[in-house]
Amino acid sequence: ADLSDKKPPSQDLQDKVHFLFNNLSTSTLQQKVEEFTALVGDEYYDWVAQYLVMKRTSIEPNYHPLYMNFLDTVNNYNLRKAVLKETYRNIKVILSSDKTSNNFSDRAILKNLGRWLGMQTLAKNKPILHIDLAMKDLVLEAYHRGQQDLLYVVPFVAKVLEACADSKVFKPPNPWVMAIMTVLGELHAVHDLKLNLKFEVEVLCKHLSLEISELPPSNFLSDTERAKKLCQLVSQKDKQSGTGT
Amino acid sequence: KINLMDELTLKGVTQYYAYLEERQKVHCLNTLFSKLQINQSIIFCNSVQRVELLAKKITQLGYSCFFMHSKMAQHHRNRVFHDFRNGECRNLVCTDLLTRGIDIQAVNVVINFDFPKTSETYLHRIGRSGRFGHLGLAINLITHDDRFNLFSTEQQLKTEIKPVPKEIDKRLYVAEYQ
Repeated sequence: ADLSDKKPPSQDLQDKVHFLFNNLSTSTLQQKVEEFTALVGDEYYDWVAQYLVMKRTSIEPNYHPLYMNFLDTVNNYNLRKAVLKETYRNIKVILSSDKTSNNFSDRAILKNLGRWLGMQTLAKNKPILHIDLAMKDLVLEAYHRGQQDLLYVVPFVAKVLEACADSKVFKPPNPWVMAIMTVLGELHAVHDLKLNLKFEVEVLCKHLSLEISELPPSNFLSDTERAKKLCQLVSQKDKQSGTGT
Repeated sequence: KINLMDELTLKGVTQYYAYLEERQKVHCLNTLFSKLQINQSIIFCNSVQRVELLAKKITQLGYSCFFMHSKMAQHHRNRVFHDFRNGECRNLVCTDLLTRGIDIQAVNVVINFDFPKTSETYLHRIGRSGRFGHLGLAINLITHDDRFNLFSTEQQLKTEIKPVPKEIDKRLYVAEYQ
């Protein structure tokens, strides 16, 4: 619930960073980036990344393009890397949290983080590596764990893949994307799938200009052997209930 | 239908006041903007002149702000409001123009830079018209002269406005922290 595991700057500097983000907008962007660069040294990038991901992008989806623009303008490799790492970390914390209590805000945060992840990676023609996040396995695992897990995973995956529409490399028919879309198509055909999840898949297809009926048939989800070999990302490894936010 | 009071609610809005002198107001605003987590905010003043003065002052101080008041042409006001709603800037300084409650979801903080003269105005500024009354924080800057207004507003609206605590719990005004 706090930012204490990253070396925090002085209270004064923290206040200045808060002020900066409270007043970041398209018209003040250039000025704020200059202020930021002068103000915050790279020894605090881990802290800034945590602040940006946990306190801003995870709950302010209305400013995702702005925050992306901010990162692009600061244009610092270490900062980008820290933000991406922090994004993956938060996603994994929520995925491995207790999902039995119907925690709506966790799901909303996960969706926001999904979109933010897609913008940092796929939209910029950068891959989401299997070791960072195994997207297809995630769907498979959630499918075998049941409804509650699907409620978290499907909207999340759909949000991540939304970014493919802006990508030269990851736009369909990119095979990595199509492999996941095929699985989502298979999931869509499951007769007792919740309507809002079907809807998520349909919206994504529309976004990527795909016809759901034209996705190739798949029996990835029904393959129980494969499910047994999964690395269990969604599962609740330890009884942590927090979201990390 | 003119009077929309009954459709406005203070539910979900946490209200605080800060007791200070007129000359401390801008400094107080700076402190709020260094401590709170603001998606978008609306800052109310009691006169057209004060709106323009404050907007100018805080823009110089590095705020992202638009301003809007009753002396502006309607099409100009519409434009400002439209752009604000689209998130083109973070903060809006204005007089009492938004009379149907704030239904911009991104606005999570409302600041009464000048405390309103009547409880009706207070409700219009702070009250939410949305059915779900999404969360919000209202901060009132109170000077010596406002103290009776503060008291009567609390009485008439049957609500409680507490002094600003040292730390404000984010769950009170940032939706996903619930």
